[in-house]
Amino acid sequence: MSVGGAVGALSALDPKKLRMYGLVGSVVGIYLGALLNSALNTTVFSFIGALAAIFAVLMGANAVRRVCAYGIGTGVPSIGMLALGMGIIAVMFGLSVAEALGFGLLGPIITLVYAGVFGYIIGVIANKVIKFNIPIMEEGNSDLSMAGAMALLGWSFAISGTLGYADILKDVLMTGYIAIIFIAGGLAILHPFNANLGPDEKQDRTLVNSVMVSGIAMIATGIAAILTQGLAAGLLQLVIGFALWFYFFKMYYKLVKRDAAAVVGTGLLPPTVQ
Amino acid sequence: MDAFSMGLIAAMGALATVAGASEDIESDVGSQSNPNSQVQLAAQVGNPHRIYNKAISGEPPANALWAATAAMVAYTLITAFQMPALFALVAGASVAALFNGVFSMSAYFGRNSSQRRFNQWVYLDIVRYTTPSIMAHAWITSFCIATISYIMVYMLPIPHPFPMPIIALIWGLAVGAIGSSVGDIHYGGEREFQNRQFGCGLNTMLSGQIVRKAEAGLRNSIDNAWFCTKFGGPATGMGFGLTVFLDNWRTTVFDPVTQASLAIAMGIFFIIVMVVYNLYIEKSARRKYGPYPEYKGDIAA
Repeated sequence: MSVGGAVGALSALDPKKLRMYGLVGSVVGIYLGALLNSALNTTVFSFIGALAAIFAVLMGANAVRRVCAYGIGTGVPSIGMLALGMGIIAVMFGLSVAEALGFGLLGPIITLVYAGVFGYIIGVIANKVIKFNIPIMEEGNSDLSMAGAMALLGWSFAISGTLGYADILKDVLMTGYIAIIFIAGGLAILHPFNANLGPDEKQDRTLVNSVMVSGIAMIATGIAAILTQGLAAGLLQLVIGFALWFYFFKMYYKLVKRDAAAVVGTGLLPPTVQ
Repeated sequence: MDAFSMGLIAAMGALATVAGASEDIESDVGSQSNPNSQVQLAAQVGNPHRIYNKAISGEPPANALWAATAAMVAYTLITAFQMPALFALVAGASVAALFNGVFSMSAYFGRNSSQRRFNQWVYLDIVRYTTPSIMAHAWITSFCIATISYIMVYMLPIPHPFPMPIIALIWGLAVGAIGSSVGDIHYGGEREFQNRQFGCGLNTMLSGQIVRKAEAGLRNSIDNAWFCTKFGGPATGMGFGLTVFLDNWRTTVFDPVTQASLAIAMGIFFIIVMVVYNLYIEKSARRKYGPYPEYKGDIAA
């Protein structure tokens, strides 16, 4: 990568580093939001949950990129849905177990551990039973499961404002908002690589796209939060989501101009290069 | 069963027909789903083109997103602000269409710039005049599906127990799946390869050799929408409309609690009729168009 600055820094991220950022960022973010909300007895800080989800999405998008680089072309959407499917089971398990144990705040940690193990098992099954024979399948599925779980948890927190199982059940599942989190989250993880698929795909462009889609998901959770938390908390989330989307869409377009063979206003067919 | 609920079922069937048609045309304007692989491949085998490349996952997840967004916004406006249903549904569909525009543009930019080595350019005029057309079709689809879920949750005598966004998500998945399996063949088989013999199938040798030039000028995605409106779109509309209408009809005529077995038997009856009818269509098509001539070896250029 020759382009420097913030954009250039993104391209050099290796998966291990990105996994650390993703896990630490999402867990710390969710806890920070939960603590601020409960300490100050407000719901204004719920937007931090949606910001935390972005870290998880970045990690998930990179995992999709790595696993699908082994030639799973049409499987990109499926693997994104798989990530969220594993994630939703982990979130429900983690939150309900934490509630049953009496430590509601332990929820995210239990979710994360369960998601990691669960994803690894799915990866082993995919490789050994279905015989995908992709070397990083176990690792990738574990990453995807954790990313899906943390993203879902972050957005669920952004909508409900607490980490209590009963509140998330009431605000996220019973209202049906789980539908939008599930599908917008799935697209945030799968769309970046799917949209940039091709021999000249670049990591930074893919990751910038994933932040942009997370911004859209944040707009959606902001609209949902208007009902569950009131106008102030919801609109704050919506505005931050829009700002994120706008900034990263512009950055994405800049990267497209950098990477494309040519960006032209109009024109005839380009000459063939073979 | 009363006349009112029968009328609602009919309205749902009509809305579903429109949703199916617009869904298929939306995916064809952007070359989504199955035909997308050929558009993607074209540049890689040396045929750079001016066709929109809208790769937003498969059709089912993408349409589930538009429908769920529309229903989510409508549900929020109806519940939090007691807005009139029609206004809320229109606002929801508009948000869904805006989301659709962002996803479409990012896919067109991304896919084409990832084909740098094949010299596939990014044409901004295509983005400017094709994206609004895609968004308009997505608006129609998500409005119709959000309205169907609204009717199911708030208006039917026996309301559906699920919340509105989840029903919209499921119908969105359904319309995407039906559009992908019914309508796309018309675009992929008969538009991208319209210069080949009818029914010849896709030889591996022809992969990516899609039609890039139109009757006048270069082929673009608006031409494809015009073509697909003639058959692919209406066929998808029929498919989805019948699915919604017949499925809701049997649970409205027969009470799903007290007459569950009759409703299930009716469903099985519909399936048997459909299978027999499909068999008849396939046999008659084979009879009329005959077997495709045997492969006679490559013809020298």
